[in-house]
Amino acid sequence: MDNGTDSMLDMYLFETNSLMEQLDELLIEAEKVEEFSTDDVNEIFRIMHTIKGSSAMMEFTSLNQIAHHIEDLFFYIRENGMDAIAPELKKTLFNLMFKATDMLRSEIEKVENNEPLTENIDNIIGEINSFLNKISNPSDAADSPADTQQDSPSVEELNMELAHCPDDNAPFFIKVLFEEGCGMENLRAFMLVNALQDLALDFHFYPDDVENNSDSSQSIIDNGFFLTLEKEENIEKVVNVITGTSHIHSYEVIENARLKRSGKDPDEQADISAQAAVPISTDDTPVKAASIDNKNIEVPAKQTAAPAANAARLHAGPVKQSLISVNLSKLDALVAIVGEIVITESMVTSSPDIQGLKLDNFMKSSRQLGKLTKELQDIAMSLRMVPVSGVFQKMNRIVRDMKQKLNKDVRLTIIGEDTELDKSIVDGISDPIMHIVRNSMDHGVENTSEERIAAGKDPQAEIILSAAHTGSEVIIKVEDDGYGMDTEQILAKAANNGLLIKPESEYTKKEILGLLLLPGFSTNEEVTEYSGRGVGMDVVKRNVEAVGGTVSISSELGQGSCTTLKIPLTMAIVDGMEIAVGQSIFTVPIANIRQSFKVSNEDVVYDAEGNEIVKCMDEFYPIIRVHQLYNVETDVTSIEDGILIWVEASDTSYCLFVDELLGEQQVVVKPLPTYLNSFNIKNSGISGCTILGNGNISIILDILSLYEMTQY
Amino acid sequence: MSEDTKIIMDEDIEKKLEAEVEKERFLTFHSADLTFAANTKYVIEIITNHAITTLPMVPEYIKGIINLRGQIIPIVDIRLRLGKPPIDMENNDTTCIIVLDIDSISVGILVDSVSQVVDSELSKISPVPVNNQHELVNGMISLDVNNVVLLLDCQQLVDTQKMM
Repeated sequence: MDNGTDSMLDMYLFETNSLMEQLDELLIEAEKVEEFSTDDVNEIFRIMHTIKGSSAMMEFTSLNQIAHHIEDLFFYIRENGMDAIAPELKKTLFNLMFKATDMLRSEIEKVENNEPLTENIDNIIGEINSFLNKISNPSDAADSPADTQQDSPSVEELNMELAHCPDDNAPFFIKVLFEEGCGMENLRAFMLVNALQDLALDFHFYPDDVENNSDSSQSIIDNGFFLTLEKEENIEKVVNVITGTSHIHSYEVIENARLKRSGKDPDEQADISAQAAVPISTDDTPVKAASIDNKNIEVPAKQTAAPAANAARLHAGPVKQSLISVNLSKLDALVAIVGEIVITESMVTSSPDIQGLKLDNFMKSSRQLGKLTKELQDIAMSLRMVPVSGVFQKMNRIVRDMKQKLNKDVRLTIIGEDTELDKSIVDGISDPIMHIVRNSMDHGVENTSEERIAAGKDPQAEIILSAAHTGSEVIIKVEDDGYGMDTEQILAKAANNGLLIKPESEYTKKEILGLLLLPGFSTNEEVTEYSGRGVGMDVVKRNVEAVGGTVSISSELGQGSCTTLKIPLTMAIVDGMEIAVGQSIFTVPIANIRQSFKVSNEDVVYDAEGNEIVKCMDEFYPIIRVHQLYNVETDVTSIEDGILIWVEASDTSYCLFVDELLGEQQVVVKPLPTYLNSFNIKNSGISGCTILGNGNISIILDILSLYEMTQY
Repeated sequence: MSEDTKIIMDEDIEKKLEAEVEKERFLTFHSADLTFAANTKYVIEIITNHAITTLPMVPEYIKGIINLRGQIIPIVDIRLRLGKPPIDMENNDTTCIIVLDIDSISVGILVDSVSQVVDSELSKISPVPVNNQHELVNGMISLDVNNVVLLLDCQQLVDTQKMM
């Protein structure tokens, strides 16, 4: 049973989160044109309806309530069109929507973290209602809570009409829908009535001629079968009977809003206005308020996905039917096994026992096996890959909010959002990117457009968020065209904070910018809402390093700055060239290799410091001897005995001197043990290791950091 | 792999029958001329004859990494870690690697030889004398046979920040 609710909760979170993402995207897009199209309104209505329904099912009252009120609001907009809203109110609408979605999001987060939900949501609901009030009665702009309460039932009434509630003065309706195509709806309804009569309750039902009028079937199919009740306490009993009856698709308890409108419960009204007037009330009262507000509880019977399915049927939107959600740990296990299979496959096919034998059939089948294994591997790898667009879209929202708060004119340009990364990495880099974007917004970009014009720049600042694949890495860049960083100021600040470890004059520009990534460094003098708390870039660095990536900053004073995140594709399978140096075996990613060649002593020239340089394709490249760099004992020290590999990574290019090439192999990258992280091994040209077919370990070289290491 | 694994359990069974005093179980091993004891709750297995792949750019006491059934485990030479001379690998067939799992950090330690598993009451563990502080040692256990073993501080072993 526990498992059942768990997977239901998972489903709920998955569904709700993806709906929220859709909603966010939609809001951002809509705000750009300051208008909701009819499609947008329908879409929001649909999303809210789904969230409302599934939240009610999961008994998340606050989510249900907020979604319910937004639904009401958009119901009104849908009925009256966007034109009914005064232009000056549109901005308020957008702000209100963003606020409400934030509230929903924080509630969902609480559900995820297993924290209690906010009980008092009168604040946001009051705001939504008063806004609805404003747009529905433009003449009466007063937004007192009492008005709100009196006005909102009009929407309830509309809802009731939508639900085809019959005329009855009973305070409660129950709408029952039978399963599609179950047949003889009128008799099924009559059976339900019979079962209820056994309880000796005071109730009526519509259509009331189900027993002898078979035409009533059609009315039941179209509008549903209605039961009306006088007393609230009986609802539960009736619901029990309904859930115990077969062929019932869903049912809905509806409070008679018309009755409420007539002011039948003055006490209740007073209570609500009192509640709304005191938004921050004590712990016990909000529960009451919430229960009063519970006008519309939709509880699908048996079928959990019923509300979603209903909504999807009503509004044909983009429904992702072809997606299934899978537990991440299962995927991990799959990827691990596939990795082992790849290794085992090469162990079998290169087994020493069959070396030198001529086995035609074996070779044929092993080639086939190899091909299939590779396909399996590719699929297994792609399972975990998701585009970064989710993270990037979030930045839209942050830029939008900060733009308003800081009153800066900034446009966010997103490039390469469909670049795919491992799911866990995408989750891991969301916070760092957000931090960097905030930094750029807050103190990267000029405060006023006058300042920008004076500096000869476009008055609208630009932040470019880009992602791109380069071989085994994804490079994510956040660029702005703002102030740029003042190295002297950084140096002074670092000196102030006691972060310098050598005389100021010895710092290179790159090192100075690197100081920004140290803990306890923040260039902004004042603490603002968004940045400048002294925790910042060091947290970014830590988070990015946690997923195996690196952070670097480059900047030109007056022209802007650029933060670059280099993120590896974890567990990526790399095509590698195995090379031998002494007893050690290294792997160089094929993607980095341009060429390998033998040279004679005459081809090598020396620079002023005695470093070896070789000429390939009319350009000169430095030679790095791996055995010298890593202190590996080897007999091959003469440049003529070994072989040169011309490698290239982003903008660095050089030649590696190794003993010999062993051959090409596809390898599964394994990270080095965490224990070794503190030895700064990531910056010594080693990106990981891999297990070879014979069980030996080969060390994978990182061409870029290997070169950087030799430069110090 | 199973023939590589020595399991020392002679004493375990009889000790289990004893009344439950506050006891912990320790694996004792030799390194240089010292006898250490490691809490068995950290010990995963003992392996011999394992090919170690050396790593460049690490301190000398990191002997390298091994492939233990697909898991990559770093190997620390206890002798070198404590600043003792390295053992003569050629003429030694008792050296082995004790694989430890310390707060889910796996690390193997290279030791001269493994001796036995002992039970010791917690009260018998005495602190190291203040003026005799020793790296990687956080206590001393006196065994009945007139010898004292040093309690290996596993936490300090993986606490790489302190080593820097």
